[in-house]
Amino acid sequence: MLRNHAGKLAATTAVSAMLMAVAACGGDSGSGGTDTASQGATAASSAPAAADAAKVGLAYDIGGRGDQSFNDAAAAGLEKAKAELKLGETKELEAGAGETGAQKEERLRLLAQSGYNPVIAVGFAYSEAIKKVAAEFPEVKFAIIDDAAQGPNISNLVFAENEGSFLVGAAAALKTKKDHIGFVGGVQVPLIKKFEAGYVRGAQSVKPDIKVDVKYLTQPPDFAGFNDPAKGKTAAQGMYDAGADIVYQAAGGSGGGVFEAAKDAKAWAIGVDSDQALTADASVRSVILTSMLKKVDVAVFDFLKSYVDGTVKAGPTTYDLKAGGVDFSTTGGQVDDIKNKLDEYKQKIIDGEIKVPSE
Amino acid sequence: MTVTDLSAKAAPAPSARRFRLSWQIALLGVLALLVMMSLARVVTGANDITSGGTVGAAIGLAVPIGLAALGGLWSERSGVVNIGLEGMMIMGTWCGAWGGLTFGSPWAGVIAGAVGGALGGLLHAIATVTFGVDHIISGVAITLLGQGVTQYLSKLVFVGMKGGGETQSPRIPPIESVSVPGIGAPLRDLAGTHMFLLSDLAGVLYGITQNVSLFTIVAILLVPLSFYLLWRTAFGLRLRSCGESPVAAESLGVNVYLYKYVAVVISGALAGLGGAFLSIVAAGIYREGQTGGRGFIGLAAMIFGNWRPGGLAGGALLFGYTDALQLRQGGTSVHALLLVVALLLAAFCVYQLVRQRRTRAALITGIFAILVFAVFTTTDTVPEQFTSFTPHLTTLLVLSLASQRLRMPAADGLPYRKGQAT
Repeated sequence: MLRNHAGKLAATTAVSAMLMAVAACGGDSGSGGTDTASQGATAASSAPAAADAAKVGLAYDIGGRGDQSFNDAAAAGLEKAKAELKLGETKELEAGAGETGAQKEERLRLLAQSGYNPVIAVGFAYSEAIKKVAAEFPEVKFAIIDDAAQGPNISNLVFAENEGSFLVGAAAALKTKKDHIGFVGGVQVPLIKKFEAGYVRGAQSVKPDIKVDVKYLTQPPDFAGFNDPAKGKTAAQGMYDAGADIVYQAAGGSGGGVFEAAKDAKAWAIGVDSDQALTADASVRSVILTSMLKKVDVAVFDFLKSYVDGTVKAGPTTYDLKAGGVDFSTTGGQVDDIKNKLDEYKQKIIDGEIKVPSE
Repeated sequence: MTVTDLSAKAAPAPSARRFRLSWQIALLGVLALLVMMSLARVVTGANDITSGGTVGAAIGLAVPIGLAALGGLWSERSGVVNIGLEGMMIMGTWCGAWGGLTFGSPWAGVIAGAVGGALGGLLHAIATVTFGVDHIISGVAITLLGQGVTQYLSKLVFVGMKGGGETQSPRIPPIESVSVPGIGAPLRDLAGTHMFLLSDLAGVLYGITQNVSLFTIVAILLVPLSFYLLWRTAFGLRLRSCGESPVAAESLGVNVYLYKYVAVVISGALAGLGGAFLSIVAAGIYREGQTGGRGFIGLAAMIFGNWRPGGLAGGALLFGYTDALQLRQGGTSVHALLLVVALLLAAFCVYQLVRQRRTRAALITGIFAILVFAVFTTTDTVPEQFTSFTPHLTTLLVLSLASQRLRMPAADGLPYRKGQAT
């Protein structure tokens, strides 16, 4: 009987863990939407040319404003648009960790219903939600970053992360003294695999025999890998201990742990999305060799501009090296000596001489 | 029934078992395990499985889980199921970061983390002890509350700080690490030679003596301290009697409500310390969602350890070690671990056959041993998709192999009202 009792407790523990995850979302979306509901659902003004009436709605991915990376870049694009284009009021909603797809839908629906047009969804997590909601509001223009969700009123702002990663991979291969480098990905999803593919190819095109350690912190549907700096640190330490001297991270909020490990090991790390030699904590900036820049701000601004100009087109717009959507950073001057070589690779990719795989 | 009777019942009745786990046997077991791992290392060349870095990382990953488990132990020994450990841990991560940043000292953060967790514990005690709310419901509510409150507080506090945001804090001042002087370099060199057994010993020693955070030492000391308080003092005996038979304890004049309150608040403080370790030492920053379910894993480690301090520390270490293996060298190390598992299963099979004379059980274990060995020989590495489950799988395996004599406190999770016996 006692055994039974213990078993029951174990089962309850597991069930409660799941319950928690589901219920957590309920709490989160409440805290995300602050005062939208009170503004009332005004009829959506669907005349795209009326710039004054462009009320922009923006839904962030997990991490939200202040992540010093991906979401902040989207916010910067919106700020720039606010300053340069005549926009109406704007509304930004945050996502919570571990929320369900239904809550993402609800967030987009709330924006569309309240008369926000266009609505921008930041991150591939909105893929399913935007398909549904865009169909419900055919007169509203939607945009999604990092995803290929299709719809007559959905614009896809996608990036050639593999091309940018190719360049930092080449930089790592040129800089390594041990011919051994590493890659830490947050969650093994197709998007992050694109980073890995470009990085590995870039490194190999400089040194075909180079050893590249690859580690993803978690497997989907567990997205904790984007939020666990302790795991990021452990994984990077393992690579440095094994002999790697440069590690590239595409791990969102876990990336800070990779920088910590680099600092402890007196080795290099490569940043991602924004110029992390400027945005990361001051104590670790000196270990950042370069960063793969993904100019989400440019994409958001361009989209808003096209909306104001009345030239929004549905379907994918790819921000690649050619379009200046991805690049590598030179802050800190650590890659100045190899900048010419990297620019050569860049030109070859732009000219189509080098094809970078995306998986 | 007297209190002394109770204590005899509460102890895990060693006479009922075949043998008692003495420290000699435990040491011999650890040595045997080390020999097997050394063998696996030499055969596969996966040098990371006993390296100092792995052992250090294993301890770092085990500490938050172990502290949460210890928190669970205190609460459940007094008869209150604490599924809110995760929430208390979340409070600990946030308060730890806040304390460290506000007062400029990481130790202030450690204390703040414990206080934050203790507040969660106090809430749990008020709900379950005073108002008789179902323990599971209260625990789940506290976990939700922990997430919500920290989100709100982050917006209030961290947004204004340089380098902080709605979801993360700036860098927290670090806690000092200490090393046993003079043996670091020789041990590292010895481990680097990759000799059989000797290098493995050196690696393990290096991991536990070099660059150990002071917080880790405090956390490790809390395990024997908890054992002493709970099993060697009158206070502990009374506290455990509340978890075994509160009515009997009450009849002997024990203030059951008070003891439950104390136990659950200490439980929260320990879970909070686990959270503070995570944000201050393991990560260096507070990050929303960084506990990633470690509170629940701590609860599992406590059950794994049969509601005993030593057992739960072992469970936490096993989880931390396998997690470190898969995070550091992924496929290669986990592949080598397969050989260790095959060897262990084979040894267990022989034990079942010779000592226990359970032929059928031995046959099943033997088949599994051969299967694992076959997988080991036919593959070079374990795919990434599987390595991340290594800690969970290993824990399951050990649980199913260990004789399933888990015994929880008799009145754990049961409602108790003062004077209900009359």
